[in-house]
Formats: sequence, C-alpha cells, structure tokens
Amino acid sequence: MKLWHFTEQAYHPAWAVPGGLRVNFPQYHCDPIEAGQLLNRYLDEYLLADELGLNIMVNEHHATATCMSTSVMTTLAILARQTKQARLLALGIPLANRANPLRVAEEVALADCISGGRIEMGLVKGVPLEVVVSNRQPTKFMDRFWEAHDLIIAALSNLGETFGWEGDHFHFRTSAMWPRPVQQPHPPVWGTASSAASARMYGKRGYTCATFLSGAAARSVFNGYREAYVEAHGKHPDPDRLAYLALVACSSDRNEAFRRAEEMKKYFVAAPRFDVQFRNIRGFNPVDANLRMLLAGPNAMRLRMSNGEPLPANPSVEDYISARLMFVGTPDEVYEQIAQFNIDAGGFGNLLMMGQAGELNHADTVDNLTLIAKEVAPRLAELPDVPPLEERYEGVA
Amino acid sequence: MSTAELSCLNFGTLDTIDVRGTDIEIFRAGSGAPLLFLHGIDSLEGAAAGIRELAKSFEVIAPSHPGFGASELPSYMDRVDDMGYFYLDMLDVLGLDAPAIAGTSFGAWVACEMLTKEPARASALVLASPLGIKTAERREHWVTDIFMISSQELADRLQVGPAEGPPLSEMAEWQMRRALRADEALSLFGWTPYMCNPKLASRLHRITCPTIVIWGDRDAIAEPEYSLRWRDALPNARVELLAGAGHRSHFDKPAELAALVSQFVAGVAK
Repeated sequence: MKLWHFTEQAYHPAWAVPGGLRVNFPQYHCDPIEAGQLLNRYLDEYLLADELGLNIMVNEHHATATCMSTSVMTTLAILARQTKQARLLALGIPLANRANPLRVAEEVALADCISGGRIEMGLVKGVPLEVVVSNRQPTKFMDRFWEAHDLIIAALSNLGETFGWEGDHFHFRTSAMWPRPVQQPHPPVWGTASSAASARMYGKRGYTCATFLSGAAARSVFNGYREAYVEAHGKHPDPDRLAYLALVACSSDRNEAFRRAEEMKKYFVAAPRFDVQFRNIRGFNPVDANLRMLLAGPNAMRLRMSNGEPLPANPSVEDYISARLMFVGTPDEVYEQIAQFNIDAGGFGNLLMMGQAGELNHADTVDNLTLIAKEVAPRLAELPDVPPLEERYEGVA
Repeated sequence: MSTAELSCLNFGTLDTIDVRGTDIEIFRAGSGAPLLFLHGIDSLEGAAAGIRELAKSFEVIAPSHPGFGASELPSYMDRVDDMGYFYLDMLDVLGLDAPAIAGTSFGAWVACEMLTKEPARASALVLASPLGIKTAERREHWVTDIFMISSQELADRLQVGPAEGPPLSEMAEWQMRRALRADEALSLFGWTPYMCNPKLASRLHRITCPTIVIWGDRDAIAEPEYSLRWRDALPNARVELLAGAGHRSHFDKPAELAALVSQFVAGVAK
C-alpha cells in the first residue's frame, strides 16, 4: 500500500466565526498575511512529505475557509518544481465546474513537464455547492463532466495534427498542447466515487478510483469497481487501482496521538458548516437520485461504526476510529487499524492520508508525518494482497 | 396522473397531448372564450386557486411546461426561447389561433417568448408578476435569487399568507417527483443568466396585442424597480397593482385577479 499526504489547507482561524464557512462566508474574515503564512506552512509540510518518501495529494475548493487551495493545479505547479520524487495527485480537478477543459489539459501538461512526469490526474465532478460559485449550469452536470473528460484525454494524448472540437457543451477551434505531457498517452487518471454505481464508471475505464471517508461503504464501492473492471478487462484489477481517504494521527505516545486526533477532528465539524440552501442545489442531482435519497430517509446515508450503529451526532475520536474515518494511535496501532480495514474493504493499494487536518499545528504535523513515513509506511508497503472475494470463499469451502 | 390524485384540480380534466412527439400534461376547466394559462415557478398545481376563478369566465387551457409536472422535456430544450417556439407549435395542435394568454411569474416569460416570435397568436395578453427581462444589472439585483434561499424561505416568500401543502420530505412519492422535476426545470431554464433572457426586453416591442401587467403590491420576489423596467419595455401596456397580493397573486387574490383579467379581456373583445 502506498501512502499519500493530503491537507485541505484550511484557514482555521476563521472557524471561530459563527455560521456557515462556505459559499457566502465574507472574505473580510480572512487576514491575507495569516493566510499566506498558513499556505507556506502547508507547502513546507508537503515538501517534508516528499523528503520522507510519501506521495502527495492536493485538492481544491472555492469560497471556503475550510480549504484555501483554490486551484489544484496551481498548488501542484509549485510542488512540481519543489519536490523531487513524490507522485503528485490532483484529486481533483472539478471538471463540471470548469469553463475550459483545454485550459485544464494545458495546466496538467505544464505541471507534468516541470515534474518530469509525476502528475496523477484526478478528474472529478466538483462538489454540488460550488456550482453556486462557478455558476456553471447545475443540470446535465455529468454529461458535461464526460465531455470535458473526453476532450482533455484527446488533447493530452494527441500525436496527430491539431484538431477542433464542437461538442454539446464545449467548442474549440483548435487544440495544441505546448508543452505536451511527459507521461504518454496522458498522466494516469483518477476518479472519486461514493457508490458502487459511480465506481463502475471508473472500473470500466481502468482508472484509479478513490473513495473519501466512506468507512464500511468503501467495500461496496470497491466491489462495484472490481466487477466493472473484470467485465471490461477480463482480469482482476491491481489493488493500486483503488484508494481510500482517511485521517491519520500517530505518535509514539498513545495519549499524544489521541490529543492530535482531537485537533484533526475539528475538520469534521468545519467541513459541513454551510447554509441549508446549499445542501442540495436545485437541478444538480437527477430527479431519480433525489427521489431515492428522499424515500430512503435521512438515516440511510449516515456513516456507521463497526457495530453497525450510525455514527452519533457528536462523534468521539473512538467513534471515528470505529467508523474507519480515522486511524489513530502508536505506529503499531495505526498499522493494525489500516491493515485490518484493508482486509475488511477487500484490498486497496493507496491510502490517501490526511496527515494534517483541522487545527493540527506545524510541529505536530511534522512529527506525525515523520513517524508515519518511518514506522508505518514501510510496513504498509509490504502488506500482502487481499485475495479476490470468490477465491477466499473457495478457500473456506 | 389524474385529477383524482391532483385533488386541487378536481374542477376540470387533466389530459396528455402530443406536441411534435413530446407528451404534455394539460388541464382544462370552465367554458367561454379560450384562455391559455401559463403557470409560474409554483407549477400547475400551485395555480389551482387562480385557475378555478378564471374558469368561471373562460375555457382555461393550462399546460404543465416541458420539464414540469408530468410533461416531457424535449432533449434539445434548454432555454425559454426554445419553449416559445414549442408553445407556438402547441397552439397549432390545440387548434387555437389567437386565444387570450395569461402567464404568471415564469409563465409570463414563456408568453412573451411566444408572442415576440409570432405577435398575432394572442388576442390579449395578461402578465402577472412577470419574470423574463433582465433581473439585475451588475451588483444591483431586483429579483430574489430563488437558488440562494432555502426551499422553506422560498415557500414563505412566494405569497403573503402561509404556504399550502406539506414539506418535500412528507409528500407522497408522485408529489415529490413533481416537485423535484419543477426544481430541475427551474434550474435548467432560470439558473443563469438568472431568470431572464437578456434579449427579451429589446424584443417586447413586437408584442402588439392589448396587454395588461399586474403586480401584487406585496411581491417579495420582484422589487418595484423591476416593475419599472417592465413598464419601460412595454410602454403601451396597462399596469395594475393588486392590493394585498404577493408574487403569487393568483393564490393571494384569486377572485380579484380573475375579475381584472375577465374585465380586461372583455374590454378588448368589444
């Protein structure tokens, strides 16, 4: 299993302001000097991750104090130059919220060149509430996503003459990538899924599929991926096609690890702080999907702990560990928790690790990353593959 | 769908017609001169109280717009401009040459998109709380952005009195589907530029039939400044203010609205 360091690069000093933190949170709550200090600190931590042999994941959000990386490729362009060995994962580029897919392809190609071919290209839809910020049309979001995807792949991999594109959603007279990407035909593609149905789309294409903070549901997401992969490719996918995102708090002292986890846990409180009207943007979800959610009721989507109970309203660190959203403890404990979840989820080859989250400070983050890289990562690298499910059943029989 | 289910529309008949391959739900009630009624952001069922009053003087023909209610949405359709052409085709299917047309809110926009294209297709035009011309100029906004407020706040602001009907989560499944389809259609047609065709105002001079524009004096969606923009775009239209009515004047003051409409249309016919 490969480890990736990830931070949302939050502006947590503003979290003390009551109310929503996203979409309509006024920027006068942002001190740009403090923001710059924090951003440089997070970049320093990414550079440390590189030195420690960890890989790197960056995301983007808009108009929010929970994530100051407003352009994933801009942040990655800095890291493309300043890191030496880490794979650089953009997860992701919110395609359906982007006006210009060719600009996305150009930015990916540029960063791939500067980094010597280390870019991993995560193409995601984008979170619903940020369609308010991008002001792109909420309806036909997935149609637009796939057309943008097709155009980006065509542009990056083109070895023929320049071409024009007249699609349903995008229109370009000509496409030429100067520079074109080092990785041919294009940097590896990643996607994100929270259901088996959406994972199937990536399995069919053989892309790497990540699921974020989904706990026990990760197993069905991964199963959806594997089924579609086997159907399309006639063999089982390598575990490195699958990725899981969770928070990791580690210390040689167990109590200290839990103290760090408390600081990181504040992420879970901040991230969903936004006004009710942005919870389900009209037209974003197809009618049938909205109908299914309404009929299933509010409890259907709740995360569950290992005993099957839904995560309580104000979860403790222990609850989050039980729900597999956090891995916390000494290096041995963290390793054991991840190794067990790897088996429970049917095997995944990438842990997208929030090594910094919430209000975890720089010194704690440095120690957290160092300990994980030195004491946990080498053991996870040697983790045996989890056999495909049917083989396990045969073994039992 | 039948009026047995849509019990608020139990005073007429609900049918489906085929408009060039698209199934459109259409409600008919009353007798008299034909009146094409085009519903607003509150959908066909939200207009029931107003239609009931209008049906005392007119043969009301009230479709659910494409994408709303049980009406199909043609795959090409993503602008109210498209809907204008579609409704002209529908008039042909219905055998209506030049009926009186009444549109409320979003439906008034639809009516204007029809008649700027074929001005002769209405004998009289009623625009109640119309949307459709530019709703803002840079940082100055004259129409509440329904996508920036909660469903509850929207439901509260649409009329003066309390909203009728249960919240979404307590509806029957078929009601949920209709409400969710309306949300999706409003997003498709009204998301950006917000609830308008920026070119509509420059086309409104083409509407030559007698026109009345009616505003509720307690409209919490459109500001008075917006009604002035409509007055400028339709200088020959009669303008009436309905006391005690909000954006859904057909809900707050159905009898008064129907009286105004029937008196106006009768005056035109003379």
